[in-house]
Amino acid sequence: MEYRDYYKILGVARTATAEDIKKSYRRLARKYHPDVSKEKDAEQKFKEMQEAYEVLKDPEKRAAYDQLGSDWKSGQQFRPPPDWASGFEFSGGGRSRGAGGGAHVFEEEGFSDFFSTLFGGASPFAAAGRRQPQAGRDHHARMDLDLEEAFGGGTRTLDLKRPELKPDGTLELRSHTVRVTIPAGVNDGQLIRLAGQGEAAPGGGRAGDLYLELHVRPHRLYQLDGRDVTLTLPIAPWEAALGATITVPTLGGAVDMQVPAGAQSGQKLRLRGRGLPGSPPGDEYVQLKVVVPPANSPAARALYEEMRAKLGSFDPRADLQARP
Amino acid sequence: MSDAVEMHEAQLVGEAEWIAASEICRLCRLEPDAVIELAELGLVSPRGYAPAQWQLPAAAVPRLAMAGRLMRDLGINVSGAVLAVELLEAQRELERQIRRLERLVSQLPE
Repeated sequence: MEYRDYYKILGVARTATAEDIKKSYRRLARKYHPDVSKEKDAEQKFKEMQEAYEVLKDPEKRAAYDQLGSDWKSGQQFRPPPDWASGFEFSGGGRSRGAGGGAHVFEEEGFSDFFSTLFGGASPFAAAGRRQPQAGRDHHARMDLDLEEAFGGGTRTLDLKRPELKPDGTLELRSHTVRVTIPAGVNDGQLIRLAGQGEAAPGGGRAGDLYLELHVRPHRLYQLDGRDVTLTLPIAPWEAALGATITVPTLGGAVDMQVPAGAQSGQKLRLRGRGLPGSPPGDEYVQLKVVVPPANSPAARALYEEMRAKLGSFDPRADLQARP
Repeated sequence: MSDAVEMHEAQLVGEAEWIAASEICRLCRLEPDAVIELAELGLVSPRGYAPAQWQLPAAAVPRLAMAGRLMRDLGINVSGAVLAVELLEAQRELERQIRRLERLVSQLPE
């Protein structure tokens, strides 16, 4: 297990006052909070800061931590002394409570082994202040998925860590793997509920549910807008001018689509019901993009010259003329 | 440690589904008073006469959860959290629009 220098993490001296520590935490939390920050590794950094603040803001935990001495360096191999935390009184100040209230054992998920050993589950600090939850809490996690998965559904395997209370009152972080069936036609921001997969309840109470908030990753071809998808389809000038039957990719597989004669770049055609499934299902919009072949051979140049000669009356900029 | 792989059928919570306020409190780890205040400030629109009978749309869960996290972690009050959530959502929408416009610009001929 590696030693963690909580003072260094919060950027304060070992002599810092409680007020200094609070100020520094607030300043860093504002910078690295995952909801607000654009910093790389913000989530990891924020967890480290929460862990450090959890110890340094509590006079008892801070005193016990200070007792380890100041010779340790961050990352150095560490084993707690056998008489760790003996001789301290515990006032029952377990995890602090914010707006949520209740016992926040779940928040410690992601804290280091260093923290868990010294202040977590089996330590006297945790045992002093823990309350027994009546029913398991619901957990909330984010799941990223590809548009194809949102369209067709599928199964995903998730590795979850769930804190559980052992019969002797200590807490254990149990890993378990859950295979989730994603229904077809889910959308960005939707929630999936896995009944009973949240926090376990002691004494046989109802376990909480696990809610997964879905996020659809940006796609190479399609832009998602609600249940509708938009695809940009390159076409040749003669396909636009004369009309053509073109094979177009859709989420459900390629389909043939009729491009009407006289089509223009930027026009949108609709393939009804080819977006994300649902009731009603979304549509696929195909936005045409006329791509002009290069005049890079004598034959091609001759063709363009002929067009200029024969279609000379065509004015693509007629709309730009000043109107009376 | 358990390596067992369990199979679970997912139950989809529709955006239009209404969830009891008490369930929302547990889910977003908010006190009932905080949810009432967040609703009074317009962050969410509950239905039902008295707060005890309130229901809220499932679609409101992500923004309520974010408000809860910001209040807990940054020590800001309810008004500050509402302002922050609305500004962050507006910022994300603008970033989405910028990405969409950048895609369109990249498709323009040289």
